Amino acid sequence: MVTKTEESELKNLEIQVDNGGGGAWEYLSLVRKLKVRRSDKVLKHGLSILNDSKLRSKLGADEWTLYEQVAVAAMDCQCLDVAQDCTKALRKRFSESKRVGRLEAMLLEAKGSWEEAEKAYSSLLEDNPLDQIIHKRRVAMAKAQGNISGAIEWLNKYLEIFMADHDAWRELAEIYTSLQMYKQAAFCYEEVILAQPTVPLYHLAYADVLYTIGGLENVQTAKKYYASTIDLTGGKNTRALFGICLCTSAIAQLTKGKNKEDKEGSQLQSLAAKALERDYKQRAPDKLPQLTTALKSLTLSS
Amino acid sequence: MGSNDLKYEVSQNAYIKLVLHSLKHPTSAVNGVLIGRISSSNDTVEITDAVPLFHSQIPLLPQLEISLILIEEYFSTKGLNIVGYFHANERSDDFELGGVAKNIGDHICRYFPQAAILLLDNKKLEALKKSKSSSAIMQGCI
Repeated sequence: MVTKTEESELKNLEIQVDNGGGGAWEYLSLVRKLKVRRSDKVLKHGLSILNDSKLRSKLGADEWTLYEQVAVAAMDCQCLDVAQDCTKALRKRFSESKRVGRLEAMLLEAKGSWEEAEKAYSSLLEDNPLDQIIHKRRVAMAKAQGNISGAIEWLNKYLEIFMADHDAWRELAEIYTSLQMYKQAAFCYEEVILAQPTVPLYHLAYADVLYTIGGLENVQTAKKYYASTIDLTGGKNTRALFGICLCTSAIAQLTKGKNKEDKEGSQLQSLAAKALERDYKQRAPDKLPQLTTALKSLTLSS
Repeated sequence: MGSNDLKYEVSQNAYIKLVLHSLKHPTSAVNGVLIGRISSSNDTVEITDAVPLFHSQIPLLPQLEISLILIEEYFSTKGLNIVGYFHANERSDDFELGGVAKNIGDHICRYFPQAAILLLDNKKLEALKKSKSSSAIMQGCI
């Protein structure tokens, strides 16, 4: 997950490089550092550096890192011959390397030869059973073949070994939500929030899942997590503000006839509604009437 | 679901919006809502517009509820309704309507019995880039 500053820096570099302003190497290094997926740009600019022998020799030892990065980007864009050339060049230079072996297995995976790739990965894992990337490639392969339950199994095994990999927990949560197994997804998000309690995105996702499961307690907890998201983002997260309005009306519906939570709930809702209206006035003033009617219908139905 | 044979007309506006949305997010599933009206002679459903919804975290309820409420509000002032649902799967060879899409589609059908669900055919989308075929790249189901 990238922060806003990093994202804007990346965008600026991207625009600069796209318009021929140089700085391709910085852009590629930033992409590598942030681990974002910009494969078409990486391919274009990486190839332009590699094909220019002057620029290539300037890189020195980093040349091989660039080969690896371009090979992976080429596989993502399905330019398999480019990927093959890069991998061959790497193999010539590092003939005994496991890292190159991994790239070759990825190439098999990109071609769609699942069984050969599976064999290659298993043999690589025998030599090095703690290679995170290979484990993750196996999960990706299962997912790509449509074998979602297999992917879940592999991912669970991976997480038993590497419990601190929060990206993997997030991936598992997303797989569970796509299968509508919301309780398991909630568990995954709990793990992620424990590991990284200051990232508002996870609080938001957790609140979403809790609301989807439904039930009074869950919706009340969801409201708390929406509130914490707003806290963490300084009140700017539109989704969380809407979430609070939805939660309050859902709670009111579920507790019809009981007057306990009235004061506290309605205060929070009116605050959220005001913040939303302010936000809309600033950014989309012509949509403001729809917002007000929608909010009214939410409170009326409660 | 519908008792008589209904025709469905998809306007260019709606079609293009949906295709562009799926192209913008090639690595995730996307979905969207179809807006339109039923024609006065009561035998054609005209799909005049489309609103792309999400490209990640599709099956989560709160966002869906809010977006449907806001969309209803906005389009009812123009006299249009939600008439259908659009879905594109993540993987290029997944050509089935998953559980989530079915649930959302059923929900929309409850409010508008003649609603249609359009599923994007990812393979044909790819071919579109290379050739200039003008065949429909979506499969309709009711």
